[in-house]
Amino acid sequence: MHLDLVSIEHIIAIAGGIVVGVVAFYALYQDWRTPGVENNVFKIMLFLLGVGAIVAILAGAGVLGNFPPEKGA
Amino acid sequence: MAVASPSVPVAEHHDEEVDQLYAETRDLRLQGFLLFLVSDCVLFSSFIFAYLYMRNTGQSWPPPGIHRLDVAFAAVNSVVLFGSGATMHYALENFKHGNFHKYGILMVATILLGAGFLGGQAYEYTNLIVNEHVTWSGSGIFGASFFTLTGMHGFHVFVGVCMLTILLLQSVAGVYTKQKFFGITAGTLYWHFVDVIWVLLFTIFYLI
Repeated sequence: MHLDLVSIEHIIAIAGGIVVGVVAFYALYQDWRTPGVENNVFKIMLFLLGVGAIVAILAGAGVLGNFPPEKGA
Repeated sequence: MAVASPSVPVAEHHDEEVDQLYAETRDLRLQGFLLFLVSDCVLFSSFIFAYLYMRNTGQSWPPPGIHRLDVAFAAVNSVVLFGSGATMHYALENFKHGNFHKYGILMVATILLGAGFLGGQAYEYTNLIVNEHVTWSGSGIFGASFFTLTGMHGFHVFVGVCMLTILLLQSVAGVYTKQKFFGITAGTLYWHFVDVIWVLLFTIFYLI
């Protein structure tokens, strides 16, 4: 099986995105009941970090940012 | 200034004063830092909305003669930055629970991942400028907006890497304790903020 650089980048993006997403949402789950302003800000940040990881997975899988070839390319 | 009572050693009394001051001002510091993040958010928002407005007034995007940005490489670079957000979060958690060794390892990992992201961005810039001939001033709205926004974000990451390095050195020097660690909390908030801004920039520059 031949893997070019772009394929490796896609695999790393998907695998890394899954790891980061799981860690982010697990941290959010652990922190869910913690009170206080800073912990609530952390919850928002962790949720958005998880969303970012999902976006990276979708980009790596070619679901997002998969544009048709440009003219003349 | 209060005078120490004869029965309490001066150094101990001073520590108590510092602890009391810390407890009294911690919420104010937090509010001040959150206001700083909000102001930074406004700064990025204004540039992002200007970019989106200009982009939607043009007929085609990217402009003729400019190729689309490399999504796969940017996705890997994004994962590197998001990963650093995760390590930073657990670095703070470990510090809170007194696991200073794990905290140190996770802080080093965060700094390395942040530096890795900057390296990736430098590679991407070099590729764009040398191979694609896209420049800040010579490629119209696309070049100006791309380099301004990602450069501004990269500068924030650079500042964050420097700040985390200083925090780590301060931690080693014993500046922060299990009871007093607002600096590390602020560093974590800042680093999460930098991550979240990149989610937006990655989406608007590479995915739509």
